[in-house]
Amino acid sequence: MSGRPSLSAEGRVWLITGPDGKLMDDIDTDMIYHNAHLAVTEVSEMGRYAFGNLEGWRDFPEKVRPGDIVIAGANFGCGSSRQHAVDCFRALGVGALVVESAGAIYFRNAVNSAFPLVIAPGIGESGIKQGDSVSIDFETGLIKDLDRPVVFRARPFSAVQREIYLAGSLFAVRPS
Amino acid sequence: MAGMTFAQKALAAAAGRERVEVGEILFVEPDVCLSHDNSAAIIKTFGSMGAERVRYPERTAIFLDHCVPAADERYAANHKRIREFVAEQGIVHFHDVNRGVCHQVLAEQGLARPGGIVAGSDSHTTTAGAFGAFAAGIGRTEAASIWATGRLWFRVPEALSIELAGEFPPGVGAKDLALKIIGDIGADGALYMSVEFSGPAAAGLSVSERMLLANMGAEMGAKNAYLPPDEKVERFLEGRPEPYESRPLFPDEDAEYARRLRYDLSEIEPGLACPHTVANYAPVREKAGTRIHQALIGTCTNGRIEDLRAAAEVLRGRKVARGVRLLVFPASSEVYMQALKEGLMEVFLAAGAVVMNPGCGPCLGAHEGVLAPGEVCISTANRNFKGRMGCKEAEIYLASPETVAASAVAGEIALPPAYGKEASREG
Repeated sequence: MSGRPSLSAEGRVWLITGPDGKLMDDIDTDMIYHNAHLAVTEVSEMGRYAFGNLEGWRDFPEKVRPGDIVIAGANFGCGSSRQHAVDCFRALGVGALVVESAGAIYFRNAVNSAFPLVIAPGIGESGIKQGDSVSIDFETGLIKDLDRPVVFRARPFSAVQREIYLAGSLFAVRPS
Repeated sequence: MAGMTFAQKALAAAAGRERVEVGEILFVEPDVCLSHDNSAAIIKTFGSMGAERVRYPERTAIFLDHCVPAADERYAANHKRIREFVAEQGIVHFHDVNRGVCHQVLAEQGLARPGGIVAGSDSHTTTAGAFGAFAAGIGRTEAASIWATGRLWFRVPEALSIELAGEFPPGVGAKDLALKIIGDIGADGALYMSVEFSGPAAAGLSVSERMLLANMGAEMGAKNAYLPPDEKVERFLEGRPEPYESRPLFPDEDAEYARRLRYDLSEIEPGLACPHTVANYAPVREKAGTRIHQALIGTCTNGRIEDLRAAAEVLRGRKVARGVRLLVFPASSEVYMQALKEGLMEVFLAAGAVVMNPGCGPCLGAHEGVLAPGEVCISTANRNFKGRMGCKEAEIYLASPETVAASAVAGEIALPPAYGKEASREG
C-alpha cells in the first residue's frame, strides 16, 4: 500500500458482451467465480478463476492486463455473497468495474473492500467500444472515451464509498 | 409525514433514533453475525486488518454447513482453522458439521428473533426475516469488520410491499408463489429493497412457509425480507435459547413503499424456475414430461419438516423411477430427528431415495450429488445458475417438494398428485 488511492482511473476497456454484442445482464456470482474454487482463501490465487464460468469469457484472466477497466450490464454479481467474485478482479489488477447496476451484496462487497465499482445506468448505449481507452473520475462519475468523442455521466461515489475507498478498507472507517 | 416501513423502524431502533429516512447511512451493532465454511477466509481478512480479538463473541455465530463433512483436504483445512479460531476467541454460537444449514440452525437456536439485526456472510441470510428480524447478507470484509468492531453501516433501503390474500389450492405452496413472484418482477425486481409481506394470507402462513418466502427474497435482489411476527413465531421460539430479547416491529399503515404488489394465493399453480435463472418461470404443466436424472429435496429453502412431510406424502408406497436418483437432505439434525420419529425416513428409503446428512449438500456444487454433463436435475433449492450444482453442462429446474417428489416417481417433470384433485372448497 503506497499513499492514498487516486479517485480516478484510466485504462483499456473490456465490454462484457454476449453473442448479440450487447452488455450481458444478470451475470451471477457463479459465472464470475465458480463454486468449484470457493475453498480458496488467498486473494492472489483468485484472479485465474475470473469469469471461468461465463460463456465466451473463460480466457479473460489471460487477456486482461493490470489497469484495464471492465464494463458490464445490469444486476452484475447477483447471487451468492462470495467476495471472491470481487477479489478475483482485484487479484488481476483491474482498475475499475463499471456496471449498469450491481447485486446488493456484490455492491457492498466492492465498496467495503475499497474496490472501485462505478454504477453507470445506460453505459451499454454510451458508444464506448471494445478496446477503447477511457478515463473515469470517481468523484464526478464522468467517464471520457479517449479514442472517440464520447462522454458519459455515471453515478459518482457516494460519501461512504469515497470515505472507505480513500481509507483503503472498511475497517479504517469510524462512525462520525 | 409518512409512516415508516419495517426496515426504517428496525434500523432506526438499532441506531437509537426516532426516525430515519430512506437513503440514510447508519452505523448499527448487529445482534448476530452469521458465517459458515467461509469463516476460514474471514479469519484471514480479520488477521490482515490487524484485528486480534472478536469484539462480541456472544453475538458471533459460525455454522459448518457448505461442505460437511469436508469433501477434500482444502475444505478440511478450512474447517480445522475455523475450529481453532472458535476456541481461541471463545465464539459462543458454534455448530460443527453435524448440525445443519446455517439459516435453519440460526432459527432453531433462537438467534432469529423479532426486531433483531442479523448480518450474515451468506446471501440467504434474508431467511431470518421470517421471524420479523432485519436480516441481510454481507461479504467477507464486512463480516471481518463486524467481528473486529461489533458494528457495520447500512443504507436505509427502499421497500417493496407484497400483500397476500386467499388460500393456496391443494398441492400448491409457498415455493410456487415465490417462483411466480420472481418470474414476474425479475432477478433484480427488488434490488437493494426491503421486501415486506403483509395481508391476511401472510398471517395464515406457517413459519416454514415464511422462511421460504424470506429465503427466496434474495433471488429478487432484496436487501432483506420481512413477515410480521405473531404468535406462530412466538410458539416456534418457545423453549429455545433466548440470546437476545425479541422486539417485535410492524410497518406503519401509511408507510411509503417504492412499489406495491398483491397476490391472490388461489391463483397460484405449481411452478418451476427453468434453466439457468431463477426468474425463468414456467408453470409445471408446460414442462411436464421433461426427462430428469436427479431430484433433490432439501437445502435452506425446502429442507424443513413440513417439506419432508409433503414429499413423503407423495412418495408413500411409490418408487423412484428407474434411472433417477432422489437425494433427501434434512435442513438440520433437529429436522432429521423429527423425520425419523414420524417414520418419514422409512418412506424415503422404501421409495429408493438416498437420505443424506443435514447440510447444503450439492446445492452449491461442492459435493454429495453433483451433476454430469447433459443431466437434468429438479431441485427444491433456490438457485439454478449454470454450473451451480458443479457441472456447467447440466440443467437445473427449481420446484416445490411436492413437484420434485412427483417428478422423481414419474422420471420426468410432473404435477403434484394433489393438484387439481379437490377444487371444491365451498362453504
